[in-house]
Amino acid sequence: MSHSTPIVDAMKPSRPGATRTAPPRPPDGFPSRGNYRAYIAFGFGGFFLFTVSLLVLRSVWALGNGEAAWNRLQTSFQNPIYVLFHALAFLWLSWFILRLFRLFPATQPKRIGPFQRPPDALMVAGLSGAFVVVTLVVAAILWGAF
Amino acid sequence: MAEPKKKTIVVTRFDPDKDEAPRQQSYEIPVEPDWKVLDALNYIKDHVDPTLSHRWSCRMAVCGSCGMNVDGEPKLTCKDALSNHGDTVEVTPLANFPVVRDLVVEIEGFMEKFQKVKPFILRAKELAVDDGPTRQSPAELDDFRQFSMCINCMLCYSACPVISTEPDFLGPAAIALGHRYNLDTRDQGQAERNKVFREDGGIFACSYAGECSEVCPKHVDPSGAIQQAKLGNVIDWLTGLVLRRGDAR
Repeated sequence: MSHSTPIVDAMKPSRPGATRTAPPRPPDGFPSRGNYRAYIAFGFGGFFLFTVSLLVLRSVWALGNGEAAWNRLQTSFQNPIYVLFHALAFLWLSWFILRLFRLFPATQPKRIGPFQRPPDALMVAGLSGAFVVVTLVVAAILWGAF
Repeated sequence: MAEPKKKTIVVTRFDPDKDEAPRQQSYEIPVEPDWKVLDALNYIKDHVDPTLSHRWSCRMAVCGSCGMNVDGEPKLTCKDALSNHGDTVEVTPLANFPVVRDLVVEIEGFMEKFQKVKPFILRAKELAVDDGPTRQSPAELDDFRQFSMCINCMLCYSACPVISTEPDFLGPAAIALGHRYNLDTRDQGQAERNKVFREDGGIFACSYAGECSEVCPKHVDPSGAIQQAKLGNVIDWLTGLVLRRGDAR
């Protein structure tokens, strides 16, 4: 440990004690160790949520400005950069959602109303399965299967 | 007779009267195969350098005094086997805490956060002796038993990245304990605690890194407690919108 490394403002008492103290340091190994990596990657999912939301707004705007605007938007989506972005966003957000579902059981109390909570594996499988089914149905609709 | 195996223990030293900042000091000591990290520190204190300061008490992972970072991970040093580590073992004070001396951290800030959640049973009116005992079924006890296993070792605070950036965050152990009393059927202080939970630095400051639960030596799962408290508070708030204030538990 070296205290030339970053220091943080944490866990200070409201009134300083009689003894001089050395400042705290952040958690060792942050952000490369253990859960921290997934935590940071999970947080980075916010970038895709934000940018995809902007694209949805842009699509709604195009939809409200006539067929020509909508067609221009559709054409622009064929740009390789857009395709790459959407592929990355899809992969990242799928992982984001599946991780969220994996964390979900910990948020549930031991009893839900009068019932014992279902097994964790069942909750995760149910939520993840529903996500996969809904994604496939939406993909099929967009593909023109129905 | 074979020579005892030797290990190098690298320890953080800080004397507030002399040192500008903490520094590291290495000690090469003979170790026994069944030693814990605390045994090595006690050996240094007893046989090599009596000026070394570190906290410990029970030596059986109950008192929560001997929490330190060992090779970068928050551990109870009385529980962490020396054989789990290499020939060089680095022992530092818990991260996220001001350092008082060597491996001893300032815990007053922790005690203040702890008191905020009122970690005791609150009743609107104390029951009279004639009312008999307050009954609680095994199932009701089971609802919060896990969260009552906390030994206040503060390892979770050392692992929490939010503590580093939000000085007012109540932190994992304090919230888990507050949640434990909120789930206790004998308690009537949920509204009081939830008010504290919903303030700045309360439960919604947690961004669920989950590392507190990873390092907890008692499997309390404080991150789970915080997420349950979040869900309970959202439901409580929504119920409060519909019902007359005071009706929502």
